[in-house]
Amino acid sequence: MRFKMRFSLSGLIVLAIVGITLAAPLISPYDPYAIDGAEPFLGPSLTHLMGTDDLGRDLFSRILYGGRITILIALAATIIALIIGTLWGMIAGVQRGWVDEILMRTADATMAIPQILFALVCVSAVGSSVFSLPIIAGLLLSPTTARMARTAVVVELASDYVVAAKATGLKKSRLIMTEVLPNIAPQLLVQLSINAAAAVMMEASLSFIGLGIQPPDASWGTLMLQGYGNLWNTSWFVFFPALVVTITILAFNSYGERIRVSLDSRKSSK
Amino acid sequence: MGRYLLRRALSSSIVLATSLIFVFLSIRILPGDPVLAQLGAATKVTPEALQMLREEAGLDRPLLVQLFAWLSQAFRGDLGVSYISQFPVTQLVAERLPVTLELTFFIIVLSCIFALILAPLSTLKPGGILDRSIGSLTSIGLSIPGFVFGIIFILIFSLTLQWLPSLGFVPIKENLGQNLQLMIMPSITGALTATPYLVRYLRASMLEIKQSSFIRTAEGKGLSDSRILFRHILPNSLVPTLTMLGLIVGYTLSGVIIIEYMFGLPGIGSLAIEGAFKRDYAVIQGVSLVIISLFILTTLLFDILCGLVDPRLRVSKERQNEI
Amino acid sequence: MTNLLSVKNLSISVPSAKGRVSVVDNVSFEIPAGKKIGMVGESGSGKSLTAYALMRLIKSPVSIDGGEIFLNGREILGLSSKEFRLLRGNEISMIYQDPMSALNPIMRVGQQIIESIQLHSSVSKSVARKAAIDLLASVGIPEPESRIDSYPFEMSGGMLQRVVIAIALSGEPKVLIADEATTALDVTTQDRVLTLIDKLAAERNLSVLLITHDLGVAAQFSDDIMVMYAGKLVENGSVEQIFSNPAHPYTKALLDSRCDYTIDVNKPIKSIAGQPPRPDNRPSGCVFSPRCAHAEPKCSASVPPLTSSQGRLTACFRSDELFQVGAVN
Repeated sequence: MRFKMRFSLSGLIVLAIVGITLAAPLISPYDPYAIDGAEPFLGPSLTHLMGTDDLGRDLFSRILYGGRITILIALAATIIALIIGTLWGMIAGVQRGWVDEILMRTADATMAIPQILFALVCVSAVGSSVFSLPIIAGLLLSPTTARMARTAVVVELASDYVVAAKATGLKKSRLIMTEVLPNIAPQLLVQLSINAAAAVMMEASLSFIGLGIQPPDASWGTLMLQGYGNLWNTSWFVFFPALVVTITILAFNSYGERIRVSLDSRKSSK
Repeated sequence: MGRYLLRRALSSSIVLATSLIFVFLSIRILPGDPVLAQLGAATKVTPEALQMLREEAGLDRPLLVQLFAWLSQAFRGDLGVSYISQFPVTQLVAERLPVTLELTFFIIVLSCIFALILAPLSTLKPGGILDRSIGSLTSIGLSIPGFVFGIIFILIFSLTLQWLPSLGFVPIKENLGQNLQLMIMPSITGALTATPYLVRYLRASMLEIKQSSFIRTAEGKGLSDSRILFRHILPNSLVPTLTMLGLIVGYTLSGVIIIEYMFGLPGIGSLAIEGAFKRDYAVIQGVSLVIISLFILTTLLFDILCGLVDPRLRVSKERQNEI
Repeated sequence: MTNLLSVKNLSISVPSAKGRVSVVDNVSFEIPAGKKIGMVGESGSGKSLTAYALMRLIKSPVSIDGGEIFLNGREILGLSSKEFRLLRGNEISMIYQDPMSALNPIMRVGQQIIESIQLHSSVSKSVARKAAIDLLASVGIPEPESRIDSYPFEMSGGMLQRVVIAIALSGEPKVLIADEATTALDVTTQDRVLTLIDKLAAERNLSVLLITHDLGVAAQFSDDIMVMYAGKLVENGSVEQIFSNPAHPYTKALLDSRCDYTIDVNKPIKSIAGQPPRPDNRPSGCVFSPRCAHAEPKCSASVPPLTSSQGRLTACFRSDELFQVGAVN
């Protein structure tokens, strides 16, 4: 049972977005923080691809740098959610019984709290920074990951090859590391991609209401907030960060969807 | 039906209690001192004064005691006092709740209408142009943050066409017309974020029902396509979708918080954001309690609706076996 | 005697990796008014698809490629779906395989009959309800006045099949198709439902097409039997002819493979070697030839036509030499 990584447009876009934003310092034409006397609210032109903001800063450079923060937060949150969620779900799926019951009811309860609300609670308690946001987002995304991991583990543990491996006397912990984990990896990849999309959305939303990344740092969310605040001055400003955020979330979602579809078709053809 | 409701109510209250404990604990356990936050960085405080304030707020008691005190007070309708404004939180919430309820109601109604139009359209010819376009729109809709829809609407209807005001709120009692006018954009914004989920779910469930044998029976009777759609396919697809709708409401409430804030609607969502800005824990806790209860109540409500649509849910297992 | 239903050269195909493949191939038959015909075949032989074609319930990706179906002298495959809808339930109707899933689970059974009655005759709700109660009584449902308000999940499989029959009869059709109508039921219920269909057919002078994989059921019920194999009609004759004197090696093999406890318990049951061919892998010539004990080179070279042999129709080159009355065993 091998999973083949196929070429896909959405995967390519995901790679491109991550690559470009991480390489922001190499690519960006201007210093995103420098107020170097350029006119404020310039429209898009050849010198300023996306125009300038209220302080005359180059929007294109700010989107690149802001993207770096957004994407880094999203990736960190995704990894945190993956680790916590997978452990959470695997323990539930392996132990079953009352441990399972408690862990999964806990997941249900956390999922009953609207995400933004929970984020507000956490942000108000610990404040928001590049360090706290990934942890908060990661924690918020882990229950869904846990649920998925639990289902995957339960299904895997019931499958023939695991039963066979058990019969040969393989230890449970070893079995999980060598057999189960590699087999649920594709499903985890799906969750990874969907979580990344959700994390970008969460950062954007929190920063948009001013409770995420704080100025002078920029993220896609704060750029949208800036654009919203300047809607009456320059209505095009908000367009660029909004577009970039949408494309990014769409790419992550579609990539996850694509893997899921190819997993499903593999399952049904088996 | 009674048994079914009882079981659902029981599990709902467990979820409610657990999630409230979470909210409470995350505020208490996470670093950050509510009292310090209340005083602000500007004031210099002596440790003695700090201790006094803590005692006054009951923060020196063990966590569990605080938790039970809060829950039992909340149960009696007392959500404590705002650390900042010193107003009772219950009063703050009560003033603002109608706005949120109105907005949420409009969002649910609108998204249901949108979904009930789009999902049947896309199942007319699965894989056809219409289906694929609706499918793409759904995927894009799922990827656009709700507030971006809001910005687009403001750009079009406030800035360019100048048809609708972009900010503000007028209570229903004062002027219904103005109230509705101000509610249009926030409601549609919220509905657009919820609709894609509903469309996806309803479409999948309709396609599944369409394949089932009893639809073939209905066709064999000679019923018209529209009668089969409205009397047989839709009611059966609604059962799973209604359960889903409850969960979507939860998602919508997340959106409502931001939408209220961006459109300047004085609901409990913007109250929560203001509370978060000022680190007013009493307010945040209170609002959380209300929002989570609201969410759980709506899921419960939709489960009851499910029971009304599906007779199988109304009857207890025992009676089914008897017959 | 007029033929109420006649099927000419019906072909049905499904898509596969190798392009469209035929699952019902050039099938022709007639059902005279008031006759009961059994159609026998293994699963995958195309018998159910043939039945669905008669109701025009074939859905994409399956499609009818050719042929004509005449119902009461009127060709129905050429009708618009709106025109044909008026005939469904009214001229021709069907009883389905699995009664547990054939009814809308969240609609009262009465309503499911009433909506059909009201579709076919413009009567008021209360008249239709009375008619539905009468129908339920006629299909043998006890206490129809209270049962009419039951939901499907409150009824047993046998009762549900009676409701399905009531629905099928609600438009007063002339042709009734029963597609494996008793397969999902337990043996005693099976028998009762079959007797009921028999009785109703006699009372209402229905033509019935009974589709089944069970030769015994077909023999007990029908006047004539058609045998399908791999999408082809291989033999068509009276029950008497088919049973006492089959003229196709497949029919013969089917008869031999029945486990007939009444004859000799110790006699081993013969099975037919091999598997029926998959639609995308049908042999050339006679479809049965690879499994046939009597196959000759010509059998795989060309397709044997359905011809008259010893008073019935059969599709075998060698039927005359092999199956002279009492010739081979």
